[in-house]
Amino acid sequence: MKGRIRRLRRRVSRTLAALLAAAVLVPIAACSAGDDPAASGKKDDGAPRAGTLRVLASSELADMKPLLEQARKATGITVRPTWTGTLDAVQQLGSGKADGAYDAVWLSSNDYLRLHPEAAKRVTSETPLMASPVALGVKPAVVRRLGWDPSRVTWSQVHRAVADGELTYGMTDPARSNSGFAALVSVASALSGAQSALTDTDVRKASGKMEEFFGGQRLTSGSSGWLATAYARRGTVDALINYESVLLSLGRDSRTGLTVIRPRDGVVTADYPLSLLSAASPEAKDSVRALTSYLRSPAVQRQLTRETFRRPVVTSVRPAAPLAAEARRELPFPGSRSVADGLVDSYENKLRRPSRTVYVLDTSGSMKGERLRRLKAALTGLTGDFREREEVTLLPFGSSVKRARTHTVDPADPQAGLAAIKADTAALTASGETAIFSSLESAYDRLGPDTGSAFTSIVLMTDGENTTGDSADDFAGFYRSLPAARRVTPVFPVVFGDSDRAELDAIASLTGGRLFDATKEQGPGSLDGAFEEIRGYQ
Amino acid sequence: MRRIVGIVLAVLLIGGVAVAVVAGRDSKDTSTATKTVRGVIGSEKAEFFADPEVVKALAAKGFTVKAETSGSWAMDRLPLKGYDFAFPSSKAPADELQRKSPVKGGPLRPFYSPLVVVAHRGAAQVLADNGLATLSGRSSGKLHMAPYLKAAKADRTWQQLGGADEHAELTGTLFITSTDPVASNSGALYLAAASYVADGGRVAADDAAIDRTAPLLKKLIQVQGAQQTSSDAPFRDFISGVGNPLVLVYESQVASLLMQKQQELGDLVVLYPDTTVSSDHTLVPLTESGRQLGELLSTDPGLRRLAVRHGFRPQGAAAEFTAATAGHTDYIDQQLTGIRQAPVPTATVLRAMARRTRG
Repeated sequence: MKGRIRRLRRRVSRTLAALLAAAVLVPIAACSAGDDPAASGKKDDGAPRAGTLRVLASSELADMKPLLEQARKATGITVRPTWTGTLDAVQQLGSGKADGAYDAVWLSSNDYLRLHPEAAKRVTSETPLMASPVALGVKPAVVRRLGWDPSRVTWSQVHRAVADGELTYGMTDPARSNSGFAALVSVASALSGAQSALTDTDVRKASGKMEEFFGGQRLTSGSSGWLATAYARRGTVDALINYESVLLSLGRDSRTGLTVIRPRDGVVTADYPLSLLSAASPEAKDSVRALTSYLRSPAVQRQLTRETFRRPVVTSVRPAAPLAAEARRELPFPGSRSVADGLVDSYENKLRRPSRTVYVLDTSGSMKGERLRRLKAALTGLTGDFREREEVTLLPFGSSVKRARTHTVDPADPQAGLAAIKADTAALTASGETAIFSSLESAYDRLGPDTGSAFTSIVLMTDGENTTGDSADDFAGFYRSLPAARRVTPVFPVVFGDSDRAELDAIASLTGGRLFDATKEQGPGSLDGAFEEIRGYQ
Repeated sequence: MRRIVGIVLAVLLIGGVAVAVVAGRDSKDTSTATKTVRGVIGSEKAEFFADPEVVKALAAKGFTVKAETSGSWAMDRLPLKGYDFAFPSSKAPADELQRKSPVKGGPLRPFYSPLVVVAHRGAAQVLADNGLATLSGRSSGKLHMAPYLKAAKADRTWQQLGGADEHAELTGTLFITSTDPVASNSGALYLAAASYVADGGRVAADDAAIDRTAPLLKKLIQVQGAQQTSSDAPFRDFISGVGNPLVLVYESQVASLLMQKQQELGDLVVLYPDTTVSSDHTLVPLTESGRQLGELLSTDPGLRRLAVRHGFRPQGAAAEFTAATAGHTDYIDQQLTGIRQAPVPTATVLRAMARRTRG
């Protein structure tokens, strides 16, 4: 029993490590898209500069860029954000790496940070700048069908509807995204009937209900952005769980038209505290203070709620029009790390629907040598990250599919399945031509007609163009002729070596997947990084 | 009549402050030698020492203060070499520090502030309707500690209180949000007040006393889940409309907002616990310069006025505080009538209490 717990713990910490890697990818892409007009032309060396605040910030705060630019004009303080995930930020703080590299951190919430004393002690003061609770966005037709009054719905009612097969939804992965984590805490608190901070006992008591609840989850995602895209494409999913501000912004920008429900039995709210690091210079401390008071000024708060649909944090400003005024109970956040980590661990390994994943791996002649070595290293690294109950198929191909073997991570003996995946990985050899499309068709056949009992997905890794077998058109015809239930499986292509980005992008958009970049040697954007980031979508 | 006098006094005081500012500026231009004193302070006083007017008033008296913040209960574990003073927010750690200090003439207590509970009006009304509080006006009242602790002991929820169902946010266990008692002064003082009431008006002095109240104190802390480590954050959350309906803060936090008019307080109600504990901002001199600073903060009229503007009650006669808060008596109970001040256990006992609330 002890050994099992230790193993689970190891798994969680690995999951978290994966998350860190994953979280960094998006930000880097966002940065290269051109952040700071003031710094254009100059390469940023990360050194402290008068009037510039180096801020480690949640990637979902990227929508604040226009307001930060406005703040620069008004206060003379330039914010230089480094976008990141909450857990990555907490790790950087805890290790001391953030000291000297940043002046402040700005996360959706400091709740998770507080569970890590090593990280928490690096922060000296924190001021919430806005607020947004986790909410449920439901299609209006579904709200009517269920006979719900949106202002009175409780999590228990939502659970009932899901358990009765009346409601399906999408949600981000709690191990990779703050909104998913906050959603998980809300659901666990509400369904366990916990009247105060969640304990291990509450989590255990509610596990039956939670399993029913997460059985209704049809979409998972490593990011809010892709979740919305997948939701729009799928068309058959009834609801999304995310921050109220995200749901309302989707309504404005993508015309999702969802009815936003803040469950009556309680919410977990992100309060976006701008937090000063103790190691910051006195000048930086003054700048943080000045920026804070600017962002909390009534005029800016009014603009902020209007433009981002977050709630103002000064009482003189009313929330923007679509935000209901009625107060909600704030569900207490777990007080110990073991409860929080245990909750994520149960979600990943017990409560959520398991994953069935086919890895379509190019092992043609061009992969020989360094490329094959990197593929093997990346896959082996990934084995620590597979969840219990997960079904993993390795499908190596050259001129045709070489072989396909499926392994399941059995909760009774997870090591056996993982060892078999490692052994299959070690046995990969490079030879033959590149039959991308025929192999993809084979992967769809391998997954079969049942796409309901698990999250199904296909990862395609190739280092070149299609040279043999079916063509792109053949594959498109094949895909379109599949029954709707089988078409829900997305392909996540990985750009690697000399692969044809346009060809892979077409596969991603045809199947509702997303393209991942692995053209870098190491770190984010490498093959390891891409494989780990994809975990959030599986 | 008294009210009018108060207003006149307040106007005079504001005039006085303005003069002090000008004077400070003058002296800064002319004076060459100011003495730099270094100290470690509780975070509640960071704003005070950072206030440009305080900086100027101190400069006018020849002092430049470099202050770093620390948890009051952690100060005795800091290497204090090179510091001129330590300024924790409680008497108990100050007493310990004083014993180690080579400089006599301390500790000094320039100002203090009682702990209060802030509530939104709906929650305060429900507490009052159920005998847990008495309201004396729209924005102020008393929290009855004994019935509150009894309710906490019985895991009473808001749903079980009459009238709570009119407020969607009032569900779940009834509790007061405090800071982490292991790390932060206000959280520790909450335990001091609660243990005093729960143990029939006795100050815990030994293990047996700690044992008697440990289960209740543990409950008060554990129900809260994740706690913050400085009193600043939960108060800001409260003002922002986020978090628990009842939050333990210092009176100075509310008073300072009222006097500086930085922010509307909305429907905030200040509940004074009928048995409370005051945060005694106690300066321990570690050098002669530190002692001079302590004397100055205690006696200089300008600095006392500035302390009042930050919501603190200066030691001795409360005239300055009374005058400055004259316009805010709907929130502030100037005389603290009928409010019992619970004595604080020694630092060792309080630390042991705080540790017992964990595990």
